[in-house]
Amino acid sequence: MADILFIGLSLGSILLLIALGLSIIYGTMGVINMAHGELAMIGAYTAVLAGKYLGIGLIGSIPLGFLVAAVLGLVIERLVIRRLYRRIMDTLLATWGIAILLQQAIRLQFGLSFFGINIDGLGPGLQSVSVPAFLRDPVRLGDFVLQPYRSFIIVMTLILTGVTWLLLYRSAWGIQIRAIMRNPEMAAACGIDVRRVGALIFAFGSGLAGVAGVLLAGLKTVSPDMGASLVVDGFLVVVVGGVGSLVGTLISAGLLGQISGIFASVFNDIAARAVVLAVVIAVIMWRPSGLFNFKGR
Amino acid sequence: MMRSNDRRLEILAYGSFIIAVLVIPLLADVFWLNRIAKYLVFGMLGVAVALSWGYAGVLNLGQGLFFGMGAYMMAMSLKLQSPASVQPDGALLPDFMVWNAAPGASQHLCCISPGSWLWIPFQSQGFGIAMALMLPMLCSFLLGSSIFRLRISGVFVSIITLALVLLARLLLIDAQPLTNGFNGLTDLGWLTIGGYEFDPYAVATYYLVAVAVIVVLLATRFLVATRAGLILQATRDDANRARYLGFNVAAYQVFFFSVSGLIAGMAGMLYVIASEFASPTFLDLSFSISMVIWAAVGGRNSLLGACIGAILINVIEATASESPMLSEAWKAIIGLIFILVVLYLPRGLTGLARDIAARLGERPATSPKEQTQ
Repeated sequence: MADILFIGLSLGSILLLIALGLSIIYGTMGVINMAHGELAMIGAYTAVLAGKYLGIGLIGSIPLGFLVAAVLGLVIERLVIRRLYRRIMDTLLATWGIAILLQQAIRLQFGLSFFGINIDGLGPGLQSVSVPAFLRDPVRLGDFVLQPYRSFIIVMTLILTGVTWLLLYRSAWGIQIRAIMRNPEMAAACGIDVRRVGALIFAFGSGLAGVAGVLLAGLKTVSPDMGASLVVDGFLVVVVGGVGSLVGTLISAGLLGQISGIFASVFNDIAARAVVLAVVIAVIMWRPSGLFNFKGR
Repeated sequence: MMRSNDRRLEILAYGSFIIAVLVIPLLADVFWLNRIAKYLVFGMLGVAVALSWGYAGVLNLGQGLFFGMGAYMMAMSLKLQSPASVQPDGALLPDFMVWNAAPGASQHLCCISPGSWLWIPFQSQGFGIAMALMLPMLCSFLLGSSIFRLRISGVFVSIITLALVLLARLLLIDAQPLTNGFNGLTDLGWLTIGGYEFDPYAVATYYLVAVAVIVVLLATRFLVATRAGLILQATRDDANRARYLGFNVAAYQVFFFSVSGLIAGMAGMLYVIASEFASPTFLDLSFSISMVIWAAVGGRNSLLGACIGAILINVIEATASESPMLSEAWKAIIGLIFILVVLYLPRGLTGLARDIAARLGERPATSPKEQTQ
């Protein structure tokens, strides 16, 4: 039983890792960022390249992944998102376009493959990142086998959630962000620079995706199309949890993680996924605004 | 209000599209004719997307679900039509069922695998065609009813439809003994109506598709101009106001959502007839989003525009994918086109065409006010 709960916790922490960035971006800016999974993919490739060329290990790649994804997020915000505020459907479509572009950028090695230049670590193939030695071997605690890398991911997720909580609820930025979440016009009227805060949030959320990508790189193979399924899962978590609610996102990630862990062990992975999707649909039907939402829409 | 100039332009556009579609067989070889028939089917999908997204304001990210339903229903009956499905004793049985059958299982549709009896009525092609049209319509009706009566709107509809299409795809692949899972249904027979066999590469099949597309295009164009269509557009612009004016908003939304589902299902059916396979890739999320891309490029507020957008993108894509290098680059270009269209051409190519026409007409351009959100 403890094994199953641990698997669920591990799955939930990965979901949360992806959903965290999406949640604050969607909550603050009303932007559905379909490129979020690709930002995670970029984070994963940062870890691959850092390992190959700079000799930096997985753990050292975490801040690097954050930085690369955050800068990329800032650029995306400047070039595209900024022009689409409050056009929610259009952000969904434009960021889907960005997602395709990012995927192809990695696959075509930034277009260099056309000139016969190949960069080891990019391209359409699979890559992998090795996990540091001390996180590799399972630890036996009586009957219970602890996977150290999965535990590391859970701890990292908790730390990142804590940092996000501090940013939102214990910082000067956070007051502005929460004001914008509730009412952007009023926030702007009170002198908050909505665009600047928006850009910061988008960069921060993208950075979180980058970290998620680095951590995932240690768990599964890295490929240009790894992001597509991540963003869908992330969105399901955000929608179930309620837009702009950190607690909601946390609980819904835990819930969906446990559901898929339990059903995967009792039946199989496909049944687990089907049940998760069915639960999500039911929740939206029953409470369209999500389980936790302060907005009375 | 539509100005008479616009009206004339629209008739001209529809007229030239129809003529172009009808004369293509005189110009193209068999290979391209079959391809273009498939792209016309995608054009039909563009119409379905424009109807639900442009006119109803409902961005359905699971349109592939209805397309897939139509495709699989048709493919099941065409599969039994295939010579490969005739067993030595004359019974009809899909080949993959025979390969997958447990040793000693009855070699008959009724009980070769659990649930295989579902295939029995598909021995009749009429049943396959009827189901290909009815099932998507019924499902979109039920889905629409539960969504719109609960007043779920905007992005939540998109998420529900997205989750549904992913769910259906999983179940479809998981039901391997019934649907041949990942491999899909291949090696299909030809559609036969009244003794005439529709060879996918024959001109007759092209005309079957072409006429269907033209009929769908004109019928939906007529439908959106009716009173119901106007109320639907009022709902899109402000659902609450339409509600306060006393209209049963949900009823109109459900109706048009079902029509859109029916069109998508019909497209799936025709696609199978022209391409001779059905596969779970029809339910991939990326396919459903591609349809939205086509409609956005063509012009989401124009049925004809979305239709042409779909055909145009697919023709270019087919040309580009002749060389493997170009086909990878093309994907990047599609991504770029998409960003640019959303940013600079929210009304798609149709909007561009209208602006140019307005510029050319003597009237100083009074910019069209039909822009949505």
